[in-house]
Amino acid sequence: MAEVKFDAASRIYPGTEEPAVNKLNLDIGDGELLVLVGPSGSGKSTALRMLAGLEFVNDGSIFINDKDVTLAPPQDRDIAMVFQNYALYPQMTVASNMAFALKQQGVSKEDRMARVKEAAKILDLEPFLDRKPKNLSGGQRQRVAMGRAIVREPQVFLMDEPLSNLDAKLRVQTRTELADLQARLGVTTVYVTHDQVEAMTMGHRVAVLNFGVLQQVDAPRTLYSAPANKFVAGFIGSPAMNLLAASDVGGRAGIGGVQVPLSDAVAAAAGAHPARELTVGVRPEHLQLGSEGIPGEAIVVEELGSESFVHVRIDHLGESTTIVVRDEGETDVRRGDNVSVGFNGPVHLFGPDDQRISG
Amino acid sequence: MSGSNTGPVVGERKLGGYLLSALAWFVGFLFFFPVFWMVLSGFKTEADANGPPKLFFEPTTEQFAEVTNDTTGLLSAGEAFSNSFWAVAISTVLVMLLAIPAAYALSIKPVDKWRDVLFFFISTKFLPIVAAILPLWIIARELNLLNTRLILIILYTAMNLPLAVWMLRSFFSEVPRELIEAAQIDGTNLRGQITSVILPIVAPGLAATALLCVIFAWNEFFLAVQLNPIEGSTVPIWVTGNVSTRGNFLAKLSAASTLATLPVIIAGWLAQKRMIRGLAMGAIK
Amino acid sequence: MTAATSNAPSREEQVKALQKREARRRRLPLLPALIFTILITQIPFVMSLYYSFTDWTVTPPSPRTWTGISNYTDAFTNSFFREAAVTSIVMTVSSVLLSVILGTGVALLLDRKFFGQGFVRTLIITPFLVMPVVAGLVWKNQMFSAAFGVINWLLEAVGLEAVEFASKYPRWSIVAVLVWQWTPFMMLIILAGLQGQPASVLEAAKVDGATPRATFFQITLPHLRPYLELGVLLGSIYLIQVFDHIVVMTGGGPGSTNVPYFVNQRSIGGGWRFGSASAFSILVVIATIFIATFGLRVLSGLLEGEEP
Ligand SMILES: Nc1ncnc2c1ncn2[C@@H]1O[C@H](COP(=O)(O)OP(=O)(O)OP(=O)(O)O)[C@@H](O)[C@H]1O
Ligand SMILES: [Mg+2]
Repeated sequence: MAEVKFDAASRIYPGTEEPAVNKLNLDIGDGELLVLVGPSGSGKSTALRMLAGLEFVNDGSIFINDKDVTLAPPQDRDIAMVFQNYALYPQMTVASNMAFALKQQGVSKEDRMARVKEAAKILDLEPFLDRKPKNLSGGQRQRVAMGRAIVREPQVFLMDEPLSNLDAKLRVQTRTELADLQARLGVTTVYVTHDQVEAMTMGHRVAVLNFGVLQQVDAPRTLYSAPANKFVAGFIGSPAMNLLAASDVGGRAGIGGVQVPLSDAVAAAAGAHPARELTVGVRPEHLQLGSEGIPGEAIVVEELGSESFVHVRIDHLGESTTIVVRDEGETDVRRGDNVSVGFNGPVHLFGPDDQRISG
Repeated sequence: MSGSNTGPVVGERKLGGYLLSALAWFVGFLFFFPVFWMVLSGFKTEADANGPPKLFFEPTTEQFAEVTNDTTGLLSAGEAFSNSFWAVAISTVLVMLLAIPAAYALSIKPVDKWRDVLFFFISTKFLPIVAAILPLWIIARELNLLNTRLILIILYTAMNLPLAVWMLRSFFSEVPRELIEAAQIDGTNLRGQITSVILPIVAPGLAATALLCVIFAWNEFFLAVQLNPIEGSTVPIWVTGNVSTRGNFLAKLSAASTLATLPVIIAGWLAQKRMIRGLAMGAIK
Repeated sequence: MTAATSNAPSREEQVKALQKREARRRRLPLLPALIFTILITQIPFVMSLYYSFTDWTVTPPSPRTWTGISNYTDAFTNSFFREAAVTSIVMTVSSVLLSVILGTGVALLLDRKFFGQGFVRTLIITPFLVMPVVAGLVWKNQMFSAAFGVINWLLEAVGLEAVEFASKYPRWSIVAVLVWQWTPFMMLIILAGLQGQPASVLEAAKVDGATPRATFFQITLPHLRPYLELGVLLGSIYLIQVFDHIVVMTGGGPGSTNVPYFVNQRSIGGGWRFGSASAFSILVVIATIFIATFGLRVLSGLLEGEEP
């Protein structure tokens, strides 16, 4: 069981200027499943590979259980990794694949077989132990990759988009199984994905990266309800939060000609800046169509069955802008209807530095 | 209009296809004919071979018996074949032993200047061997290596090493990086990575490379004739020994040629698919 | 406290030591092959360079005395050497070009599905596997020979006169045998290129209404380019050094003495004039370095942008 700590760790690839991971600080608790999420190229894989020892750490340190492993080679870190394309040894059977690391450690043959059998049982792989990876389905291969990790009983699991090669339905199912397995084994896990649904459903905590910089690390719920900055606000949530430069309505932040509702504390904190320098963020589900509010015209109506999303064109800061509003499943709104958008939930405010303004 | 055209067009295509197939067969026989003729002549009597070309005759194995038993020349068939076998086998094994780690160091965990090193290897193939033969001969004489198998083993290794490094490097770079990383995390060292992960994956390429080394070494004539004219010489020299300035020799020469080329031809036939892959993938990813 | 920090290696020192060890670990597997190659290929070169400035001969035996560049000035005025150089260029260029062109044609023929495809390919690759001295002897004595040769028998059958090809056209007889042996090699490389061509691209071209001709010149040929370059490169490396065929077919007869054959005759092939032969060798090496630089440019094109 292990704790992991990134201490201002940076990685600059040779021949590049900008760090791929920039002064990352992260504390991961024992048994925790931490998800690293961010857009493509944000440095998630790099951060994970730094922890694995596959990527040189140019600056800062990495600790596993208070032991500085910054310069240790991968085999000395007691970690196991699941790769996106699984990286199964093609010429070995499933059983040999799973037993390979144990063999390197000099574990006796009986012990190896016992541990492989046990892992195979957990993962429903028993019928396939003698097959070669090429004769397995994608989902089975994924489980073999998992099996290879768990037989080692490592300190830390590292997973780099382990589900991205599965089809959508299998991905959802495996996601749940994986989270459940991790909870049962209680092994500290760092999980990389660019899929925010995966991040929100699986992570005990989620760390959001952008351009190699850590934006926020928090429980999924906090990430959703109190995004630390504009990037996180826009990245988490689907459809994305409406983010608009605020208009000045009577000295307060507004959208169109309408003041946004703010708690007194936030309003007071925001008062330090002129309203026109603020950014207003409001999620589609915290807006509603009604008889009063911001006037606009419905231009797209997306009906998803249980809910629908209405894209409303409004007049804002002298230009026409579109905001997305959530409505009930069987909505009466039609394209071209004139509607009014009102508020029915929290509104987020971001300062000129893009950081959240909280009360 | 266009609909009514399809019939004849398909017909023409079919006919064209047959013609092309026939052409391919014809070209195949054309290329193979000299080899066929050589083998055929080996079964003729000298009288049949030294005359107008004959397709039908009474076959005899007498020439094969004669060339293999003949001990009048300097080099007997038995000696030539055993010299060739050992020189080819040992040099090919040495090439592989040297080239595999080198290819690893040029692809999977590359040294800083891997491009330069690779260029150096391949550039040595540009150096004409004839420009080096004199010093090689002098060195071999000084070290008492003239007319020994050892000198051929050393030089055949040097001769095939660049090509082997070049081909193997590209095979190695086809091995997915994640596999090596997985092996590393699983705790393997360099030897473990090569033997349990890389080699099984690149086995076809390895076979193609080794085969090419065997072909070039088995067929090598220049070094063998210059450095081992008296002893320790190889099959190509034995073949030329059957050319005689007096009397008829074509049937005997054909029999000897057949015996000399057969091992490599059969090996090449068996491994041709791998060789195609190996040659092309070996160079172009 | 200060004592403790100065005793423990700093992070910089640790990293440096680590990088050094890593560099050594990476270099180590390379060294045996590299050292072996350097020893075998570079020592003879240095020795040749030294001999080339002496007047060393074996018959009559003479001591090695330093003669400066006189061997080189002699070499430049030697008309036989110039002729050999021309022969080398003509033989190499023509045999490489012909075998690449024929190889492409044969590869296109074999890229179609037809009955006996694998068998025909097997027939065609056979010449490449044949020992060069055997190839030379078979062609000279059983194909080209005026008395017993199959080709002449065919010529006579259609009423033409028999020709002793190997002595009448020594250079082109050799080129013919080289082309026979190297066309299969080129075919193998190009066939691999053709088979590596994604079917979807060809189908897209068909859908776009391209004629087979246009498809070949605008899609297939550009795709084959690196394969053709590789064929030319490897073919040149081997064909510029042709020796065996000349020995058994013409013995260097008129117009068929190329540079390797010429240089060898000067030294241990009979001339035993080591000083002069070495000067020729060095000139050959210098010339090949020029050609090689060009060849390597082709190579670097192949390696361009490729990560290890
Ligand atoms: N070997 C390398 N050399 C140079 N730059 C690299 C290398 N690997 C990654 N990078 C760069 O580092 C940055 C981070 O890459 P990384 O692979 O960590 O992104 P990621 O978040 O995993 O993205 P994805 O979701 O696409 O996998 C990118 O800008 C990438 O181009
Ligand atoms: Mg990634």
